[in-house]
Amino acid sequence: MQEFRLDEHSEQFPVAMAYVPWQRFEGIYEDLEKAYCIGTIFPELNKPFTGGRCV
Amino acid sequence: MNNKDQMLRDIGIVGFTVTELALYLDTHPHDRNAIEYFNHYNRIKTQLEKEFSKKYFPIRVDLAESNQEWRWGAAPLPWEGVCG
Amino acid sequence: MWSYERRLEFPVNIKEPNAQLAQAIISQYGGPDGEMGASMRYLSQKFATPYKEVAGLLNDIGTEELAHLEMMGAIVYQLTRNLSMDEIEKSGFDKYYVDHTLGIWPQAAGGIPFNACEFQSKGDIITDLFEDMAAEQKARSTYDNILRLVKDCPDVAAPIKFLREREVVHFQRFGEALRITQDKLDAKNFYAFNPGFDRCEDCGCKK
Repeated sequence: MQEFRLDEHSEQFPVAMAYVPWQRFEGIYEDLEKAYCIGTIFPELNKPFTGGRCV
Repeated sequence: MNNKDQMLRDIGIVGFTVTELALYLDTHPHDRNAIEYFNHYNRIKTQLEKEFSKKYFPIRVDLAESNQEWRWGAAPLPWEGVCG
Repeated sequence: MWSYERRLEFPVNIKEPNAQLAQAIISQYGGPDGEMGASMRYLSQKFATPYKEVAGLLNDIGTEELAHLEMMGAIVYQLTRNLSMDEIEKSGFDKYYVDHTLGIWPQAAGGIPFNACEFQSKGDIITDLFEDMAAEQKARSTYDNILRLVKDCPDVAAPIKFLREREVVHFQRFGEALRITQDKLDAKNFYAFNPGFDRCEDCGCKK
Protein backbone atom coordinates (compact mmCIF):
# COMPACT_ATOMS: atom_id res chain seq x y z
CA MET A 1 0.00 0.00 0.00
CA GLN A 2 1.44 3.36 -1.00
CA GLU A 3 2.16 5.60 1.95
CA PHE A 4 0.94 9.10 1.35
CA ARG A 5 2.35 11.44 3.94
CA LEU A 6 0.24 14.53 3.98
CA ASP A 7 2.93 16.65 5.64
CA GLU A 8 4.95 16.43 2.44
CA HIS A 9 2.18 18.37 0.72
CA SER A 10 1.07 20.59 3.56
CA GLU A 11 0.98 23.68 1.34
CA GLN A 12 -1.39 21.97 -1.05
CA PHE A 13 -3.49 20.43 1.69
CA PRO A 14 -3.83 22.73 4.73
CA VAL A 15 -5.01 21.17 7.99
CA ALA A 16 -8.58 21.33 9.35
CA MET A 17 -10.02 20.13 6.05
CA ALA A 18 -10.47 16.82 4.21
CA TYR A 19 -9.46 16.08 0.61
CA VAL A 20 -10.67 13.36 -1.73
CA PRO A 21 -8.19 12.57 -4.52
CA TRP A 22 -9.26 13.41 -8.07
CA GLN A 23 -10.30 10.48 -10.21
CA ARG A 24 -8.36 10.48 -13.48
CA PHE A 25 -10.04 9.04 -16.58
CA GLU A 26 -8.17 5.84 -17.33
CA GLY A 27 -10.70 4.12 -19.56
CA ILE A 28 -13.86 2.18 -18.80
CA TYR A 29 -14.70 -1.51 -18.58
CA GLU A 30 -14.72 -3.07 -22.06
CA ASP A 31 -17.63 -5.29 -21.08
CA LEU A 32 -20.40 -2.81 -20.33
CA GLU A 33 -22.79 -5.54 -19.20
CA LYS A 34 -20.25 -6.56 -16.55
CA ALA A 35 -19.89 -2.88 -15.55
CA TYR A 36 -23.70 -2.64 -15.23
CA CYS A 37 -23.81 -5.61 -12.82
CA ILE A 38 -20.90 -4.17 -10.82
CA GLY A 39 -22.51 -0.70 -10.64
CA THR A 40 -19.75 1.41 -12.20
CA ILE A 41 -18.03 1.73 -15.60
CA PHE A 42 -14.76 2.74 -13.88
CA PRO A 43 -12.56 -0.16 -12.68
CA GLU A 44 -10.77 2.06 -10.15
CA LEU A 45 -14.06 2.79 -8.38
CA ASN A 46 -15.06 -0.90 -8.05
CA LYS A 47 -14.84 -1.56 -4.30
CA PRO A 48 -16.93 -4.70 -3.61
CA PHE A 49 -18.09 -5.89 -0.20
CA THR A 50 -16.58 -9.26 0.70
CA GLY A 51 -18.24 -9.71 4.10
CA GLY A 52 -15.10 -11.25 5.60
CA ARG A 53 -11.71 -10.07 6.77
CA CYS A 54 -9.51 -12.83 5.43
CA VAL A 55 -10.13 -13.24 1.71
CA MET B 1 -33.90 -13.85 -23.50
CA ASN B 2 -36.28 -12.73 -26.24
CA ASN B 3 -35.56 -9.81 -28.56
CA LYS B 4 -37.64 -7.31 -26.60
CA ASP B 5 -36.06 -8.19 -23.25
CA GLN B 6 -32.57 -8.11 -24.77
CA MET B 7 -33.19 -4.68 -26.28
CA LEU B 8 -34.56 -3.38 -23.00
CA ARG B 9 -31.49 -4.70 -21.21
CA ASP B 10 -29.24 -3.01 -23.80
CA ILE B 11 -31.04 0.28 -23.14
CA GLY B 12 -30.43 -0.26 -19.43
CA ILE B 13 -26.72 -0.93 -19.98
CA VAL B 14 -26.11 2.00 -22.34
CA GLY B 15 -28.37 4.27 -20.27
CA PHE B 16 -26.30 3.46 -17.19
CA THR B 17 -23.07 4.14 -19.07
CA VAL B 18 -24.45 7.55 -20.07
CA THR B 19 -25.46 8.33 -16.44
CA GLU B 20 -22.00 7.38 -15.15
CA LEU B 21 -20.25 9.52 -17.76
CA ALA B 22 -22.59 12.46 -17.03
CA LEU B 23 -21.75 12.38 -13.31
CA TYR B 24 -18.03 12.16 -14.13
CA LEU B 25 -18.35 15.14 -16.48
CA ASP B 26 -20.21 17.15 -13.81
CA THR B 27 -16.93 17.26 -11.88
CA HIS B 28 -14.56 17.01 -14.90
CA PRO B 29 -16.28 19.34 -17.40
CA HIS B 30 -13.22 19.75 -19.63
CA ASP B 31 -12.28 16.08 -20.01
CA ARG B 32 -12.42 15.74 -23.81
CA ASN B 33 -11.95 11.99 -23.70
CA ALA B 34 -14.98 11.56 -21.43
CA ILE B 35 -16.98 13.96 -23.58
CA GLU B 36 -16.31 11.79 -26.64
CA TYR B 37 -17.40 8.68 -24.76
CA PHE B 38 -20.56 10.45 -23.57
CA ASN B 39 -21.49 11.68 -27.04
CA HIS B 40 -20.91 8.22 -28.50
CA TYR B 41 -22.97 6.26 -25.97
CA ASN B 42 -25.68 8.90 -25.76
CA ARG B 43 -26.23 8.61 -29.52
CA ILE B 44 -26.52 4.83 -29.19
CA LYS B 45 -29.00 5.21 -26.30
CA THR B 46 -31.19 7.65 -28.24
CA GLN B 47 -31.22 5.39 -31.29
CA LEU B 48 -32.06 2.27 -29.25
CA GLU B 49 -34.86 4.11 -27.42
CA LYS B 50 -36.42 5.27 -30.70
CA GLU B 51 -36.28 1.79 -32.22
CA PHE B 52 -37.58 0.10 -29.07
CA SER B 53 -40.44 2.54 -28.62
CA LYS B 54 -41.58 2.06 -32.22
CA LYS B 55 -41.39 -1.73 -32.08
CA TYR B 56 -42.53 -2.56 -28.53
CA PHE B 57 -43.69 0.20 -26.15
CA PRO B 58 -42.71 3.83 -25.49
CA ILE B 59 -39.81 4.09 -23.06
CA ARG B 60 -40.41 7.84 -22.59
CA VAL B 61 -43.62 9.81 -22.96
CA ASP B 62 -42.19 11.90 -25.82
CA LEU B 63 -41.79 8.63 -27.75
CA ALA B 64 -45.47 7.74 -27.20
CA GLU B 65 -47.07 8.85 -30.46
CA SER B 66 -50.29 6.89 -30.58
CA ASN B 67 -53.16 6.06 -32.91
CA GLN B 68 -56.25 4.46 -31.46
CA GLU B 69 -54.93 3.61 -28.04
CA TRP B 70 -52.76 5.67 -25.69
CA ARG B 71 -49.47 3.74 -25.92
CA TRP B 72 -47.87 5.31 -22.85
CA GLY B 73 -50.66 4.10 -20.61
CA ALA B 74 -50.57 0.64 -22.15
CA ALA B 75 -46.81 0.25 -21.54
CA PRO B 76 -45.85 -2.25 -18.81
CA LEU B 77 -44.97 -1.06 -15.28
CA PRO B 78 -41.23 -1.65 -14.73
CA TRP B 79 -41.51 -2.41 -10.99
CA GLU B 80 -43.56 -5.57 -11.56
CA GLY B 81 -40.51 -7.65 -12.44
CA VAL B 82 -40.86 -11.24 -13.68
CA CYS B 83 -44.54 -11.52 -12.83
CA GLY B 84 -45.39 -8.30 -14.69
CA MET C 1 -38.06 19.41 -14.05
CA TRP C 2 -38.28 15.69 -14.31
CA SER C 3 -38.80 13.13 -17.05
CA TYR C 4 -39.55 9.48 -16.51
CA GLU C 5 -38.05 6.52 -18.32
CA ARG C 6 -40.29 3.43 -18.21
CA ARG C 7 -37.59 1.18 -16.83
CA LEU C 8 -35.81 0.68 -13.53
CA GLU C 9 -32.20 1.89 -13.50
CA PHE C 10 -31.23 -1.73 -12.72
CA PRO C 11 -33.73 -4.60 -13.06
CA VAL C 12 -35.51 -6.07 -10.04
CA ASN C 13 -36.89 -9.58 -10.59
CA ILE C 14 -37.56 -11.32 -7.28
CA LYS C 15 -39.28 -14.65 -7.76
CA GLU C 16 -39.90 -15.58 -4.11
CA PRO C 17 -41.55 -13.30 -1.58
CA ASN C 18 -39.91 -13.01 1.84
CA ALA C 19 -41.75 -10.86 4.32
CA GLN C 20 -39.07 -11.10 6.98
CA LEU C 21 -36.42 -9.76 4.64
CA ALA C 22 -38.75 -7.01 3.46
CA GLN C 23 -39.03 -5.67 7.00
CA ALA C 24 -35.27 -5.11 7.19
CA ILE C 25 -34.74 -3.94 3.62
CA ILE C 26 -37.46 -1.27 3.86
CA SER C 27 -34.88 0.84 5.71
CA GLN C 28 -33.27 1.66 2.39
CA TYR C 29 -36.63 2.89 1.14
CA GLY C 30 -37.70 5.17 4.01
CA GLY C 31 -35.08 4.78 6.71
CA PRO C 32 -32.51 7.25 8.08
CA ASP C 33 -29.82 6.41 5.52
CA GLY C 34 -32.13 5.37 2.71
CA GLU C 35 -32.82 6.57 -0.81
CA MET C 36 -35.73 8.86 0.10
CA GLY C 37 -33.45 10.76 2.47
CA ALA C 38 -30.68 10.85 -0.10
CA SER C 39 -32.85 12.26 -2.87
CA MET C 40 -34.58 14.83 -0.64
CA ARG C 41 -31.25 15.89 0.88
CA TYR C 42 -29.49 16.61 -2.42
CA LEU C 43 -32.54 18.07 -4.18
CA SER C 44 -33.07 20.40 -1.20
CA GLN C 45 -29.43 21.44 -0.86
CA LYS C 46 -29.10 22.36 -4.54
CA PHE C 47 -31.01 25.65 -4.21
CA ALA C 48 -28.67 27.47 -1.86
CA THR C 49 -25.48 26.12 -3.47
CA PRO C 50 -23.36 29.06 -4.60
CA TYR C 51 -21.41 27.21 -7.33
CA LYS C 52 -23.17 26.15 -10.50
CA GLU C 53 -21.16 22.97 -11.07
CA VAL C 54 -21.82 21.77 -7.54
CA ALA C 55 -25.54 22.58 -7.76
CA GLY C 56 -25.67 20.71 -11.06
CA LEU C 57 -24.05 17.67 -9.50
CA LEU C 58 -26.47 17.74 -6.54
CA ASN C 59 -29.34 17.85 -9.00
CA ASP C 60 -27.99 14.96 -11.08
CA ILE C 61 -27.16 12.73 -8.13
CA GLY C 62 -30.49 13.62 -6.48
CA THR C 63 -32.22 12.55 -9.68
CA GLU C 64 -30.38 9.22 -9.71
CA GLU C 65 -31.38 8.69 -6.07
CA LEU C 66 -35.05 8.98 -7.07
CA ALA C 67 -34.40 6.09 -9.48
CA HIS C 68 -32.84 4.18 -6.57
CA LEU C 69 -35.87 4.97 -4.40
CA GLU C 70 -38.00 3.40 -7.11
CA MET C 71 -35.79 0.30 -7.14
CA MET C 72 -36.07 -0.06 -3.36
CA GLY C 73 -39.83 0.29 -3.59
CA ALA C 74 -39.88 -2.41 -6.25
CA ILE C 75 -37.74 -4.69 -4.05
CA VAL C 76 -40.01 -4.33 -1.01
CA TYR C 77 -43.11 -4.69 -3.23
CA GLN C 78 -41.85 -7.89 -4.86
CA LEU C 79 -40.73 -9.31 -1.49
CA THR C 80 -44.25 -8.86 -0.09
CA ARG C 81 -46.25 -9.68 -3.21
CA ASN C 82 -49.19 -12.08 -2.76
CA LEU C 83 -48.36 -12.89 0.84
CA SER C 84 -50.82 -15.20 2.58
CA MET C 85 -52.27 -14.31 5.98
CA ASP C 86 -50.31 -17.23 7.38
CA GLU C 87 -47.01 -15.83 6.06
CA ILE C 88 -47.93 -12.37 7.32
CA GLU C 89 -48.63 -13.63 10.83
CA LYS C 90 -45.58 -15.92 11.06
CA SER C 91 -43.02 -13.39 9.78
CA GLY C 92 -43.86 -10.52 12.12
CA PHE C 93 -44.96 -8.50 9.09
CA ASP C 94 -48.38 -8.19 10.75
CA LYS C 95 -47.34 -4.97 12.50
CA TYR C 96 -46.75 -3.21 9.18
CA TYR C 97 -49.64 -4.97 7.42
CA VAL C 98 -52.23 -3.74 9.89
CA ASP C 99 -51.51 -0.11 8.97
CA HIS C 100 -50.59 -0.52 5.30
CA THR C 101 -51.75 -3.95 4.08
CA LEU C 102 -49.24 -4.61 1.28
CA GLY C 103 -48.88 -0.93 0.47
CA ILE C 104 -45.41 0.60 0.33
CA TRP C 105 -44.91 3.31 3.00
CA PRO C 106 -41.62 4.99 3.81
CA GLN C 107 -40.34 3.94 7.22
CA ALA C 108 -37.21 2.51 8.79
CA ALA C 109 -36.90 -1.19 9.66
CA GLY C 110 -37.44 -0.21 13.30
CA GLY C 111 -40.69 1.58 12.45
CA ILE C 112 -39.68 5.26 12.52
CA PRO C 113 -41.49 7.01 9.68
CA PHE C 114 -39.45 8.89 7.10
CA ASN C 115 -39.00 12.49 8.20
CA ALA C 116 -36.88 15.51 7.35
CA CYS C 117 -34.90 15.19 10.60
CA GLU C 118 -33.07 12.39 8.81
CA PHE C 119 -31.21 14.88 6.66
CA GLN C 120 -29.81 18.37 6.84
CA SER C 121 -29.66 21.17 4.32
CA LYS C 122 -27.41 23.60 6.13
CA GLY C 123 -27.06 26.32 3.51
CA ASP C 124 -23.28 26.15 3.86
CA ILE C 125 -21.70 24.39 0.93
CA ILE C 126 -18.75 22.87 2.82
CA THR C 127 -21.04 21.55 5.56
CA ASP C 128 -23.58 20.24 3.04
CA LEU C 129 -20.92 18.38 1.06
CA PHE C 130 -19.57 16.69 4.21
CA GLU C 131 -23.17 15.75 5.06
CA ASP C 132 -23.47 14.25 1.59
CA MET C 133 -20.23 12.30 1.80
CA ALA C 134 -21.30 10.95 5.20
CA ALA C 135 -24.73 10.06 3.79
CA GLU C 136 -23.16 8.00 1.00
CA GLN C 137 -21.03 6.10 3.52
CA LYS C 138 -24.03 5.47 5.78
CA ALA C 139 -25.98 4.12 2.84
CA ARG C 140 -23.05 1.92 1.81
CA SER C 141 -22.80 0.49 5.34
CA THR C 142 -26.52 -0.23 5.33
CA TYR C 143 -26.19 -2.07 2.02
CA ASP C 144 -23.25 -4.03 3.49
CA ASN C 145 -25.60 -5.09 6.30
CA ILE C 146 -28.31 -6.07 3.81
CA LEU C 147 -25.83 -8.07 1.71
CA ARG C 148 -25.03 -10.19 4.78
CA LEU C 149 -28.76 -10.94 5.08
CA VAL C 150 -29.26 -11.89 1.43
CA LYS C 151 -26.25 -14.15 0.80
CA ASP C 152 -28.61 -16.93 -0.30
CA CYS C 153 -30.96 -14.73 -2.32
CA PRO C 154 -29.24 -13.84 -5.63
CA ASP C 155 -32.42 -12.17 -6.94
CA VAL C 156 -32.21 -9.64 -4.11
CA ALA C 157 -28.41 -9.48 -3.88
CA ALA C 158 -27.99 -8.36 -7.52
CA PRO C 159 -29.84 -5.01 -7.33
CA ILE C 160 -28.49 -4.41 -3.81
CA LYS C 161 -24.87 -4.86 -5.02
CA PHE C 162 -25.58 -2.34 -7.77
CA LEU C 163 -27.08 0.19 -5.36
CA ARG C 164 -24.17 -0.24 -2.94
CA GLU C 165 -21.58 0.45 -5.63
CA ARG C 166 -23.48 3.61 -6.66
CA GLU C 167 -22.91 4.94 -3.12
CA VAL C 168 -19.15 4.52 -3.53
CA VAL C 169 -19.22 6.39 -6.85
CA HIS C 170 -21.40 9.18 -5.43
CA PHE C 171 -18.99 9.55 -2.51
CA GLN C 172 -16.16 10.13 -5.00
CA ARG C 173 -18.21 12.74 -6.88
CA PHE C 174 -19.12 14.66 -3.72
CA GLY C 175 -15.45 14.52 -2.72
CA GLU C 176 -14.55 16.07 -6.06
CA ALA C 177 -17.26 18.72 -5.60
CA LEU C 178 -15.59 19.56 -2.28
CA ARG C 179 -12.24 19.92 -4.08
CA ILE C 180 -13.92 22.28 -6.58
CA THR C 181 -15.37 24.28 -3.68
CA GLN C 182 -11.99 24.42 -1.93
CA ASP C 183 -10.37 25.79 -5.09
CA LYS C 184 -12.84 28.66 -5.09
CA LEU C 185 -12.09 29.62 -1.48
CA ASP C 186 -9.02 30.87 0.37
CA ALA C 187 -6.87 27.90 1.39
CA LYS C 188 -5.52 29.91 4.32
CA ASN C 189 -8.97 29.76 5.86
CA PHE C 190 -11.78 27.88 4.11
CA TYR C 191 -14.18 28.85 6.86
CA ALA C 192 -13.70 32.63 6.81
CA PHE C 193 -17.18 33.17 5.40
CA ASN C 194 -20.15 31.27 3.98
CA PRO C 195 -19.95 31.75 0.21
CA GLY C 196 -23.68 31.12 -0.05
CA PHE C 197 -24.63 33.86 2.37
CA ASP C 198 -22.00 36.47 3.28
CA ARG C 199 -21.67 39.42 0.95
CA CYS C 200 -18.74 41.62 -0.05
CA GLU C 201 -19.23 44.87 1.75
CA ASP C 202 -18.32 46.94 -1.31
CA CYS C 203 -20.07 45.34 -4.22
CA GLY C 204 -23.00 43.56 -2.56
CA CYS C 205 -22.19 40.41 -4.55
CA LYS C 206 -22.15 36.96 -2.96
CA LYS C 207 -20.14 34.78 -5.32
